[in-house]
Amino acid sequence: MLTRRHFIRNVSVAGGALSLGFSLTGCSTDRAPQFDEAAFSPNAFLRIDKSGRVTVQIHKAEMGQGVVTGIITLIAEELEVAPESVHYEMAPVHTAYADPEMMLQITGGSASMRVYYDILRLAGATAREILVKAASRVSGEALDDLYAEAGQILSRSGHYSAAYGELVATAVGIPVPTDVRLKSAAEFKLIGRYDRRLDSAPKVDGSAQFGIDVQLDDALVAVVIRNPHFGGKLVEFNAEQAKLHPGVFDIFTIEQGIAVVAEGYWQALKAAEKVDVSFVAAANSTLASSEDIERAMSAALAGEEFVTVRDDGEHPSDPQDKLVSADYRVPFLAHATMEPQNATALVSDDHCEVWVGSQAPDIAQDVAARLLGLPHESVTIHNQFLGCGFGRRAVADNVAEVVAIAAQVRRPVKLIWSREDDTRHDFYRPAMAGHLSASVAENGDVSHWHHRIVGPSINQQLFPLMGKAMLPNWMPTGILGVAGNFVAKDDFSSVEGAKELPYEFNAIKVQYHNLEVPVPLGFWRSVGHSHSAFIVESFVDELAAAVGHDPLLFRRRHLPQDSRQRRVLDAVAELSNWGDAAAGRFQGVAVHQSFGSVVAQVAEVSLIDSELIVERFYCVIDCGQVINPDIVRDQMEGAIAFGLTAALYGEITLEGGAVTQSNFNDYPILRHNEMPEVVVSIIDSSDAPSGVGEPGTPPVAPALANAIFAANGQRLRQLPLRIS
Amino acid sequence: MIEFELNGEHRSLDVDPATPVLWVLRDVLKLSGTKFGCGIGLCGACTVHVDGRAVRSCTLAVSAVAGKSIATIESLGGNHPLQQAWIEHNVPQCGYCQSGQIMSAAALLASNASPSEDEIRQALSGNICRCGTYNKIRKAVHSVASAVPVVVVPEVAAQGSS
Repeated sequence: MLTRRHFIRNVSVAGGALSLGFSLTGCSTDRAPQFDEAAFSPNAFLRIDKSGRVTVQIHKAEMGQGVVTGIITLIAEELEVAPESVHYEMAPVHTAYADPEMMLQITGGSASMRVYYDILRLAGATAREILVKAASRVSGEALDDLYAEAGQILSRSGHYSAAYGELVATAVGIPVPTDVRLKSAAEFKLIGRYDRRLDSAPKVDGSAQFGIDVQLDDALVAVVIRNPHFGGKLVEFNAEQAKLHPGVFDIFTIEQGIAVVAEGYWQALKAAEKVDVSFVAAANSTLASSEDIERAMSAALAGEEFVTVRDDGEHPSDPQDKLVSADYRVPFLAHATMEPQNATALVSDDHCEVWVGSQAPDIAQDVAARLLGLPHESVTIHNQFLGCGFGRRAVADNVAEVVAIAAQVRRPVKLIWSREDDTRHDFYRPAMAGHLSASVAENGDVSHWHHRIVGPSINQQLFPLMGKAMLPNWMPTGILGVAGNFVAKDDFSSVEGAKELPYEFNAIKVQYHNLEVPVPLGFWRSVGHSHSAFIVESFVDELAAAVGHDPLLFRRRHLPQDSRQRRVLDAVAELSNWGDAAAGRFQGVAVHQSFGSVVAQVAEVSLIDSELIVERFYCVIDCGQVINPDIVRDQMEGAIAFGLTAALYGEITLEGGAVTQSNFNDYPILRHNEMPEVVVSIIDSSDAPSGVGEPGTPPVAPALANAIFAANGQRLRQLPLRIS
Repeated sequence: MIEFELNGEHRSLDVDPATPVLWVLRDVLKLSGTKFGCGIGLCGACTVHVDGRAVRSCTLAVSAVAGKSIATIESLGGNHPLQQAWIEHNVPQCGYCQSGQIMSAAALLASNASPSEDEIRQALSGNICRCGTYNKIRKAVHSVASAVPVVVVPEVAAQGSS
């Protein structure tokens, strides 16, 4: 599977030391992608030119999570430069940037800071060490007498100083050292302290370039009329009238539908309305509506076809125990990125250029290369700022469309999806069903926790789609479908967060039934945790209520003494004044681990008649070593808004194999006047960094549902939460 | 020909009069700071000022602005107190909605020099931020309103209608 990448000289542990891919000194032919003859580029992540300007390659997608700031901070910490002085560029596609865990140049899994924590610091430290050596060579000062500070190499005696730019010419001739020492946490000047964001300025004056903002000379704009019915067919179409619409360049079919190409978006959109088109739904689909899928889920839950993903064994039953059981449901969800899907392409006989905001530019490159029959190196991807990602922009359906269109019109084309297109042709967070049963004793002991999960497998669909980018062109891709089916039966993305239940209950059993549905599925901020946490953390509350225990103390009692969960739970209890809310305010709690981090939240609501006001969220995260505390707080706050949208409103339904919702009128997003106050606290930790972008989302819905239960006694077991 | 003023400059355009101002700005005039989010006036990403008032440019036909004055995010120049406050408070995450948020906030401050928390929430409730930067936005608006309540008003008003 890795044949195409056999030559990767990416980060690897060699001889006990990390190496950083490119060595550009000497006459290496394997040049860094940002290579510049006149500059010093000790590795693929940075270069320093003779003016002293440091430019960092942003090889991860900046979609709001702050990765530009994170990458620069890690490099700047070791390179001894001010973060604000560092310039940055969106990196091209290159194997040097393939994530060592995911094997793709992908941004996801809240992994950027965790995976690149050592690598990027090493990139900075290596450059610094070479500059020290260059200074020693130039000045004759001993290596030990030199140090780096604020973009200069200085001698301890005070006799010598040189700005980095002055040392570039010498530095390029010095071999890359392999024994570079990284700072200890006590030596950090930036990590854990620096709290600025480095990409704000262009985002407040309108100059930040998102994919949709790309302007090429002579460019056309395309819209695509797609079949609203998943798996359906185009019967016929007539574009004669539409072609007469002013500004229309051409109208033709592509695999995904009918492309309408015009001078501008408005003209394309209006012309598209004039196309006479007839689509039919997929024939014989037994799962064409939400009702069909609900029936199939209920039947599967009641059946016995399950794969057991965890079984802790037997435990004797106590007839005195209370048996509690419940059914839970969560719906399909759209990502609703603020920036609708789009991409721009220019195709010639032997080359293709694509401008797109992508979470996986190498997948985008692969999609274009395969479609055009071009070698990968003939497809250039120019990554842009992303107007939200949330997992939506890891797939390259937009690139497949725009490349097919550009290949036909042979002019630059920008494809723009309408909001309606975006809502109806997403890769959805799967609908899932859960049945839980457990025994709870008066003293709070829990046994026979049995969790059955029914729902589709994301990886069954995405493995074949994304895995292609790992295969060489000549290798048949059918194997990926087989691999997808193999992964599906106990897909980790369906059971994550349920399987790793942290509570010390007796006889935990978790089972999964893969229910295949004809709906495109994708990774949605926190993936399986987004539904597992709601179901598990609501049901834990039910157990506590069944025996009249305080829900927070009930959880605490079952968490290992020295666990991170317990520490975080204790912290949120203190932060929220748990058990002592103001009159008319009601609290609910949830704690969940995902992407290596633990987050506990307390939702505080007021409820008058059936009008719910989410007043406040308290949130504590343990994400190991913090890089930028303000960005961690922002991600918690943002995740709470994201989770509240799903908890209060989010629901994609199907009718005739088509999505019912279309725009923000029927797929509402939490608004300014509905945003609760948010109080965030970060656990002080020197453990390795863990995820931040996603872990704030899972606890939101259960904390809120538990607060509603505290307020009015209604146990809401279905998302979105609807108070009756 | 439709004539209007854009960011202080006179414009005369030969376009379909039904074209929304948003697409005139983005596709014809290549001013991409004003964003497309929903096309039906529900998200606020396309907010501009027309004669000083915040409006959704995605549902406003260009014929309706004939003889009027439009101001876009580009007119604020980057050093506007709200833009500075946005940077100071690390407001933007993905940043896509922020042009619209800032234009709505600027129009609010032009009509209400020191809005309450609730007035800020209500005035900006038409601007969706999917990243959830609402609380930071509110703090940033507040900081401008409380820092220079008197100076800001005429400046914003002047930029909105110049």
